[in-house]
Order: sequence, then structure tokens, then C-alpha cells
Amino acid sequence: MPPKGKTVAKPKEAEKPTPPSTTTTSSPTQPTTVNDRTKQRIEAINPLSAAVTRAGGISHLAPAERTLYINARFAQSPTLRAKLGTKAQRDLWRHVNEASLPVRTLLPVIPKTNIWGSDKTGRDVGTYSPEEFAARSQRRNRLTCLLVASRAFEARRERARRGVKDPVTGEVVMVAENEVDQERERRREMDALRRELYGVKTGSYAQDPEWDGVVPVELGEQEGELAAIAYPEEYAEAISYLRASMLRKEYSPRTLRLTEHVIKLNPAHYTVWLYRFSILSALNLPIPGEINWLNGIALSNLKNYQIWHHRHLLVDHYYPTIASDPAALASFAASETDFLSEILERDTKNYHVWSYRSFLVRKLGMWKMDNERERRSVEAMIEDDVRNNSAWSHRFFVVFNDPEQSTPDVAATEPDPAVPGDIIEREIQYARNKIYLAPQNQSPWNYLRGVLVKGGRKLAEVEGFVGEFVKNLGDDEKEEVRSSHALDLLAEIYAEKGDREMAATCLKRLGEKWDPIRYGYWEWRRGMLEA
Amino acid sequence: MADEPNDAHSRPLDKARHLKYWTRCLRSPLPHHYTPNDSNRIALAYFILSAIDLLHLSDPNSENDPKVRDSTLRLTPAERHRFRTWILSCQHAGGGFCGSPSMTLPSHSYGGWSFEDSKPTMGNPGQANIAATVFALILLALLADDETEACSAYSGVDRWKTLRWLRRLQRPDGSFGEILEEVEGKGLVIGGGKDMRYCYLAAMLRWMLRGDIQPGEPGWVEDIDVEGLVRYIGRSQTYDHGIAESSEHEPHSGYAYCAISALSLLDRPLDGGQHPHAALKTALPDMSSVVQWLVSRQFPYTDPEDPDNSEDEALQQTFTTLTISEPGNPVAFNGRCNKAADTCYCWWVCGALSVLPPLQPDGDNVATIIPRPEARRFILEKVQHIIGGFSKHPGGPPDLYHSYLGLAALATMGEPSLKEFDAALAVTSETAKKLVAARTGLISRTKKAGQPEGLGGKLLDMGVQVAGGKRPAWLEAL
Repeated sequence: MPPKGKTVAKPKEAEKPTPPSTTTTSSPTQPTTVNDRTKQRIEAINPLSAAVTRAGGISHLAPAERTLYINARFAQSPTLRAKLGTKAQRDLWRHVNEASLPVRTLLPVIPKTNIWGSDKTGRDVGTYSPEEFAARSQRRNRLTCLLVASRAFEARRERARRGVKDPVTGEVVMVAENEVDQERERRREMDALRRELYGVKTGSYAQDPEWDGVVPVELGEQEGELAAIAYPEEYAEAISYLRASMLRKEYSPRTLRLTEHVIKLNPAHYTVWLYRFSILSALNLPIPGEINWLNGIALSNLKNYQIWHHRHLLVDHYYPTIASDPAALASFAASETDFLSEILERDTKNYHVWSYRSFLVRKLGMWKMDNERERRSVEAMIEDDVRNNSAWSHRFFVVFNDPEQSTPDVAATEPDPAVPGDIIEREIQYARNKIYLAPQNQSPWNYLRGVLVKGGRKLAEVEGFVGEFVKNLGDDEKEEVRSSHALDLLAEIYAEKGDREMAATCLKRLGEKWDPIRYGYWEWRRGMLEA
Repeated sequence: MADEPNDAHSRPLDKARHLKYWTRCLRSPLPHHYTPNDSNRIALAYFILSAIDLLHLSDPNSENDPKVRDSTLRLTPAERHRFRTWILSCQHAGGGFCGSPSMTLPSHSYGGWSFEDSKPTMGNPGQANIAATVFALILLALLADDETEACSAYSGVDRWKTLRWLRRLQRPDGSFGEILEEVEGKGLVIGGGKDMRYCYLAAMLRWMLRGDIQPGEPGWVEDIDVEGLVRYIGRSQTYDHGIAESSEHEPHSGYAYCAISALSLLDRPLDGGQHPHAALKTALPDMSSVVQWLVSRQFPYTDPEDPDNSEDEALQQTFTTLTISEPGNPVAFNGRCNKAADTCYCWWVCGALSVLPPLQPDGDNVATIIPRPEARRFILEKVQHIIGGFSKHPGGPPDLYHSYLGLAALATMGEPSLKEFDAALAVTSETAKKLVAARTGLISRTKKAGQPEGLGGKLLDMGVQVAGGKRPAWLEAL
């Protein structure tokens, strides 16, 4: 602590005070960063401290400056000043005033790092250029303005909900549809700004004014989880709102849209479809509209089966309303067939589509509808691709399950006396014609055998036909087999006739030469003959 | 044709590579492509842990490859405990398990929940699912360190409620659905369509939990309609002797496996012993016709010349190439007549054949009629992926489903470096034994406790006691 008298005496000696701000600080260069600018500004208002820093300590200052610095410190501090006598104080003020130092000073004197905070990437905002900083500030201001507007919207909607009158117009406050749209737009912008400024992302439901007031039921993730999936945030958010909506049993247009969103992200979700069905049912929405929507989903998710189960439920639900109107029934059947044809064009053997198709035929009684359109349509598909086994299976179903010409509850593998003989003939002929096109195609062979069993016919009935594909059996040189399936059927025909030796020859040749990849199987069959 | 699975044409199974694939699946999150499987994460967990089970011989010292011997995939007790807790957290208050945490509600949401009187109303995002239930029960047993530990694997499982729930999943025609859900305007709906997979899972669940408790004994739950189920499956045989989910649809290898295994499980002895195969013989009296359909699923595989035209290799085959194909060339399987090769059908077909009663006395059906070296070549040379695992089609990326079923197919073909496999349960024989131990433990605790497991059962018993201690007939009929 300096002795009282001495410290004050010094200013007297220093009679020529030079205003340090003008002499020691050269005019500042254009700042390149925000931190630079901050530093320049602090230096501008603390010229003495800046001088101390530049000189590298008080002791390196010129005597006049050192005195001024010390006096300034005394002037700033009432505690220090109180230690001086009245005269010394007067001298002090005079000296300091003559130097005309800046009125304000700011602490800290030397800018610390990161006083402006970090941006979303972790970069110190202080390292921004002034232009960048200005742009950032502008965005922050914009966000604040939006926030204010958004709060105002919320308050206004709350007033509308409670039916409060506007004090100016005297009318009940109403929130128009376009205001909601504006708010949605506002939140989108706010989200974009937050993401840009702070890297904070709000989900699309949290942003949507339509979903205000719904508290999402988040997934309780925990330790020890198996098969955790790195799913997109969008999915996690949609699921949490779905859970909340299902728990509330909310059946509304917005939940209908939510189910659509979840279905698009995860069509195999096993309860969302039934929830969607509940919504349709509760809102009494028209089924054809839903089916139309489903068409698009089905086309983009060919391998999903929940879609078809949903369609199945929809048809069950819709059918009673059109059952007594043959025209409506026929028109619905036609539109369904059109769609099924469209989807089968893209994926000719789609299992779910074919299963649904047979359900539909039975449900709507499409057996002979529209001049046997179903059978003709399948026939056209077999014309396109004679190896389309799905089409073959469907043909068998359409022909042999038609209640007009079959017995209910007869198994597919059993004879049915109710099937007219001419139909059996027609189908045998059909299969034979297709076998000629591609003898090694198993589908029509299976079909042929199935038809014979249905008609209660002996397999031997087609022995002549089968023989066309197997020549000189057992003759190593001249043996000629055009279809292993023919040889297989021939084995069965011989076995049926009790000719075990010939049957064994067929099976042996199959294993040895004509179908060696099933060698073990043919040998087993041969062994069975002897049993 | 060579009979040994390890013939010179084929490389050995690189277990270390597969373990690497499964390590990634177990220890890091699955990529977002699996998002559509989010509702069935327990199924994914089953593929992962079962594959790891299959790849590790019981005795690490019998592994030749040091990388396999020192595999870090042998689970630690702490890990087993954590996984077990996670699986149990997916249990539904009304019985059964949900498929993933996203299908499970916070526990308070289930307050006052009761299937018996449908309170509070049932439609909700957290419903139990039959596949998840079966896979959860398999995992709980699989996670036990040994058979002794497996005895308590099902503590915490509500057997009584699960079996009651299972009964409600059965439709009047004998078939099963996958979920039970209340639908607006329709009441209680058995969801999930007609699907042979659910019938298989139902038979499996019954075999895993029901045990030998007799009517009148504590913990007895009325059985499902077994006859109805057998009848339903029997009627699903198609004109060409395959099996679909109905005789009116196209037959499919996957459904054939499910049908055959369901029938086999319906009268499978509870703990070993002679299998009568009575249900199988009732439903499918002409077993050889099913065998014929199954063996017809294999065909000689040739690489498609034009990669854009890879659909239906069988279609490209002319009869000439069929017959002159060199013995030893890969043999692939399809799911339906004239369809393309797919790894999983190697399993569905070989699995189905393994479950059928022996075609020859004491014979292994797959060894009897499948050309194993050639079938193995398809799996190891055409669909095995460089990063481990198997893809669906040659040239594709591996996925959990095909990677597990590819291993399962190899196991049914007798792959010596894999554990023995129980085809009907689709787990290793070691895990099958744990399943038996888990059930035995659960049943003996149920009998000892003198009352059914679970709060619902206990309350019901309390009610019965208060009313004079006699269970009225209507109660059993519920």
C-alpha cells in the first residue's frame, strides 16, 4: 500500500500528461472475428489497461502513464480514495480529468474465450466474422418473433376453445383454418431455425398444431435390449404418438393419417392395422375409398401380408351392404379383379394376392360371374406363362370348388362325384395341351393327376398320353424320355396296375439317368414297391 | 454321388466368419433397414441367439479354429441376466409376450387389466403376439446356462394366463390367429389371417407350457381344440399333395414345414420317449405324397446368365440341362413349383423332412433322400456372404432370417461343426432339453404351490375358496 503523501505528490511532478488514448492506440484495424471486435472495443474503453498489457506490466510504462494509471485506479475505487487527504483527492481528480479518460470501463478487461457461446457444431461463436455473427443474430431475432407469434396463436386458440369474446369486436374468437396453416408454417420455420442455430430438432408431430395437447407415449428403452434397431427419429416419434392415440382410443381424421404414416414406415406393425380398421368403423368412412388407398400401399409393399389381411376385413365389413344388390356386387367384383390383375402383372406369383383372390371368389360368389371371367382371366395368365403354378392352383380352385358343381367339404385330394364328367374331360384336355407346350413343366402334370383323382378316374386312363413322352424304356441305346414327370406318372400307373417290375424300372431309370438329383428319393420309392 | 457332407467339392463352414457376423448383430444396433421388423424384435433376438447357440459346440475345446474357441460370443452371466430381464419386460399383463418394447406399454397402463372380463377395454398398442410368445419362451430357456439352471427359466412367466390366451386365439375351424384385439364395432377380433405359421406356433406353445397337469389339479387349464387343429391342418393339403394354409391356395414349403411340425408337436412326448406320430398319420394319411411334393422342391442350380433375368432359374432349365447336370453341381430349393431358389427353403424343406417319421427304419430322412453335398454347395458357395451370414438369393446381402435358416438347413443336413438340431422346435437339441427342463420346473412349482401361477388364477382360486371351495362347472368352461 503506497504511503498517502507520496502517492499524491507524484502527479504534481508529472506536469505534462499526455492523453494515452490518442497516442498509444493506433486507429483499430477492421476486426476479422467477433472476438477481435470485442477485444478492440474493450481496449477502446480501457486504454490504460490496454497500454499496460502492451507494455508487459506497469513497471514498463512511461512514468507519466504509470502515474495516470495508478491515479485512475485510485479514482475508480472509493476505498482507495478514502485513504487520501482532501487535497490529494482534489489533485487526483484534476489529473484524471485532464487525461479525459473514457467514462465507462467494462470487465473483464481481457476477453476470455467462448464468451459468445458455441454454435450447434461446437464452434466458438466468437470466431465468427462480424457478418456471420450479424446473420446469426438476425435468425435469433426471427426465432424470437416467431415464438411470440406462436404463443399468441396458442393463446388465441385457447380463447376460441373457451368461447371467449374479443374485447374489441365483441365477437367470439374463432381460429380459421388458414391460421392453423400459418401456424404450421411458422413451426416449420421455427424448427428449421432451431436446427440451424442450436442443432435442436423437433419432430414433425411436436411441430404440428393439430397434435398439441397429445403427450406422446415414448418407448421405454432400457439396458440389455436385444436386436435394437437404429431406426429413424421420424419412426420413433410417429410410434410414440400412435401409442398415445391408441391408448386414448381416439378415432379421428388425424389418427387415420397417423396410421397411414406408421404403416408407410412399418407395414408389418401388427396392431396398427386393426386400429386403422377401428377408426374407419367408428367414423363410418366409405370402404371403397379405403380400398382405393390400400391399392397404392399394396403396390409399393408387394411382400407384406398385413395389407391383404386388412383388405380381407374390409371386404367382410363391406359385403353385407352390397350382398342383396347383384349389380353392386358385380361392379365391386370387377373393380377388385381389375386391381388384382394390375398387381399380378407386376408380380405374377404373389402369394398374398392369390390367397386373397381365392377368398374373394368365394366371398362374392364369382365362380361363373361375368361369363366365367375368373377362369378366363387365369387362363390368360397361363397363356402368358405356362409355368405359373399360382395360376394353375387358382384354376383348380375355381373349377373344383364351385358350389354348383362340387360337394362341400370334400378334400382336394379326394374324388368328388358332384363334378360333371364333361368338366373333368375339359380339364384333362386342358392340362394335356399345356404339357405338349413344355413337357418338363411340372405344373400341368400335377394338375392332370389332380383332375384324374377328382374325377375318380384311374391314372391308367392317360397311359397312352404319358407313353408319348417315354420311349423304349429300359433300352440303354434307344431309351428316350422327354419328361421326368411322365416317367414318374408312368411308375404310378404301373404300380396301380400291379406291375411292380415295370414300376421299379421307371423309378430306377429316374434315379440313374433322368432325374439323378432325386436319386435317393427314387430309390426309396423303389424300396416301397417291395414293401 | 458322395454321401459324406464333407466332400472334396465343398469348402468347410467358416464358423469364425459367421460368428463375426452374429457378433455385430448382437453387440451393435441393427441398421435402419430392419425398421419394418420393429414389431417383432423378439423374433430377431431369437435368430441371433439361436444362431450363436448353433455355432458353438458345447465344449469349446472341441473347436479346431482358435478364433471360434476363444469367441467372445459366449454370453457372460451378467449378459444372460440382462437379456432375460428385457425379455420378461415384454410380457403382457393378459398373458403372452409382446414382440418388442414398442409394442409394450408402461406397466401402469395395464392396471386393472383383465382378459376374463375385458377390462379396461382392450384395444391398445401393447398386445401379445403368438410368435413373440414362442420366441420369448425359447429365449428364456436358451439363456439358462445349463439344464439345472433352466428349471427356473420360466419363473416370472404367467403360464396360466398365457395358456388361457392361447385358447382364445383359436378359431372355430381349428386354426389360430396371432393376436387378440378389440376392434370398434366388431368386438374381439382374432387378428392375423389364416396362416399355418400360427398353427405351428400354437402347437409349440402348448407343448412348451401345458405339461401333464390333469383336470382338477392346481394349474390345470382347459386344452385347445386339438382335434379341430388336426382336422384343419389335414384339410390344407392341396390337389398336388403340398400344403397351404387352406386346400384352396397354392402349396408352400414354409407352410408344409409348419403343418408337419405342428402335427408332430401335438403328440410329442413331454420329455423324450417314443413318438407315436398319431396326429401326423391322422391328418396326412398318405405321407409319401407329401414327401414327393417336398423333394420336388429341389432343382439343379445354375447361375442365371443374365442377372436382370434371375427370377425363376427353374424356368430357364430345359430338360437336357436337367439330366446332364454334373453330379456335384449345386442343388437349390424353392418354396413353390417353378419358383426361384431361396436359402430359407433349404431349411423349410429339409426341416419338414426331418420332422416326418423315419422313411427307413432308423434312417435320417434328409440323408435318405436329399443329395446333401450338392445342397450344401448351394448354401456355402452361392449364398454365403463374405462378411458372414447368408443371403436370400445368390449375390444379395445377408440378413438375420436367412442367415439363421441357412445354418439350420446345414444342421439338418448333419453339418459336423454345428450342434445337433431339433427340427420340429427349430432350436439345438441342447436348447430343446432346456425347454423340457424349464417346463418341468414350472409345472412342479405350479403343483407345489397348490394354485395356478399368476395373480388372475390366484384371485380365481380365492374366489372359489370363499364360495365353498368347489370349482363350479361353468368356471372351467370359461
